[in-house]
Amino acid sequence: MAEEPKVTVPEGYMRNIEKKVDDLKLLIEVSTLLSSTLELDELMPLVMEKAKNVMDAEACSILFYNRETDKLEFEVAMCGEDSASEILKKTVTLDMGQGIAGWVAENRQPLIIDDVRKDNRFFQDADKITGFTTRGIIAVPLIGRSGLIGVAEVINPGKKDFDPEIFQLLCRQFAIAIENARYHKESIQRERLRQQLEIAASLQKSFLPESPVLKKGKATVSALNISASRVGGDIYDFIEPVDGTLGILIGDVSGKGISAALYMAKFISDFRHVSLQIDRPDLTLNKLNALASRAPMGMFLTAIYGILDLAKGNLLLSVAGHPPFIRISRGEATVTTVPSGPPLGIVPTEYPVTPIPLEIGDRLLFLTDGVFDAKNRGGERIGFEKIADFTREHLQDAQLVQGIVDYVEDFSKGTERADDLTLVELRWGT
Amino acid sequence: MKIEIADNKGLKVIALSGDIDMHSSPELRKELMFLVQKKVTPLFVDFRGVSYIDSSGIATFVEGLKGMMTYGGKLKFVGIPERIMEIFCFAKLDKVFEIYGTMNDACNR
Repeated sequence: MAEEPKVTVPEGYMRNIEKKVDDLKLLIEVSTLLSSTLELDELMPLVMEKAKNVMDAEACSILFYNRETDKLEFEVAMCGEDSASEILKKTVTLDMGQGIAGWVAENRQPLIIDDVRKDNRFFQDADKITGFTTRGIIAVPLIGRSGLIGVAEVINPGKKDFDPEIFQLLCRQFAIAIENARYHKESIQRERLRQQLEIAASLQKSFLPESPVLKKGKATVSALNISASRVGGDIYDFIEPVDGTLGILIGDVSGKGISAALYMAKFISDFRHVSLQIDRPDLTLNKLNALASRAPMGMFLTAIYGILDLAKGNLLLSVAGHPPFIRISRGEATVTTVPSGPPLGIVPTEYPVTPIPLEIGDRLLFLTDGVFDAKNRGGERIGFEKIADFTREHLQDAQLVQGIVDYVEDFSKGTERADDLTLVELRWGT
Repeated sequence: MKIEIADNKGLKVIALSGDIDMHSSPELRKELMFLVQKKVTPLFVDFRGVSYIDSSGIATFVEGLKGMMTYGGKLKFVGIPERIMEIFCFAKLDKVFEIYGTMNDACNR
């Protein structure tokens, strides 16, 4: 059997290879460690401990970059006493460019300083607070996919023959692990918020009448309400404020989302309380206006409130800055405007009242601006007149309200619904 | 939406253009309330470039107006386009805000 040829490798080369293998082992070990958790609170001590051990350092710290304040804040510091870390977190922030960490963050470059006393960038306050003595420091920017995350600092490193490239690679891994943990935390928070919104949405629906259709004597009222987001700011209600009457309310809270939904909830509870035993809609609106004026951030509400005398078919209407309604009478649909006051909650005022005697077969169609402000893909708004025209063309449709909604949805097909949409129809004697 | 704040012969004018809606009104609110906190009066809002305003935009001005009323300030709207004026009229906001056709009218009243 032939002897294998001998290969002589220079000793320095072998040492270099061994070091590279050690470095790779370290990188794999750190990578395994960092992928063991997505919890930021668990991850940070792991990262710190590893950085400290690798560099045989006396202390280390990580400062996070706060985008809103454009400052660096201590996230975690391992420098002997736990209390020192807490003090640093609570009391010390660095401007971009301030201190070693601030310089590293601003320039996105690492710094290796053997003697901080000779470097005028060194920020001494942290040592003063902790009682720690910093001699040498290695500071590396933590840069993730979304940009600067912060700065990692290793203080008084014992290991002098470290490979700066390997340390930077480790810091890159730290940055990605921190970023992943943050995304994880944010996705949990988003999910919690989504669940809260679902609860809020079902709670809000419970404020509206149990059934969207109510028949009382010769009157039939029906409503259709679609929210742009999970919760909405449109409102409608059917009540019996005084025996023998039917109260019909439609309203639209300014703005959208949670704030509009909360305002709507407060308003509807005020309305049900205030409207009792009052047979004049203007008087009810006057009282609601005073209550609504306490709303924050200029919030207001447009509304129409009508009280129908079920024996006589006489409707009293009061309007607070709400869009016109469509009256269908004797086969004709007319856009109808009655004297109105400003929306509720803006200025003290007395609302007017308008009597509208109904004839058998009359229908009144109240709507919110989400119906006629709907936009198509070209950015064009549908407008009130087109809704009125559609109504004129479909007077005989039994499902007119649903037909209008379908028409609006067809018009704005391919766009995101921007506003809540509510229609209330009152039919008299049919 | 674009916001430009200018001094017109010593008078503060907020010139707006584009859509004022729930996405843009927080920025408008920041600028408007900054001027209200400084107790600026009169404060002019130039609507000539505005293509649309929704209820969150109107609420921003209601908040500004309520803030200005505490120090007797005047909020004056100028050059509201016809389509937006229709909304202001049916919502009776023309009874709430001071509305003028031109800066000259607004300055002289």
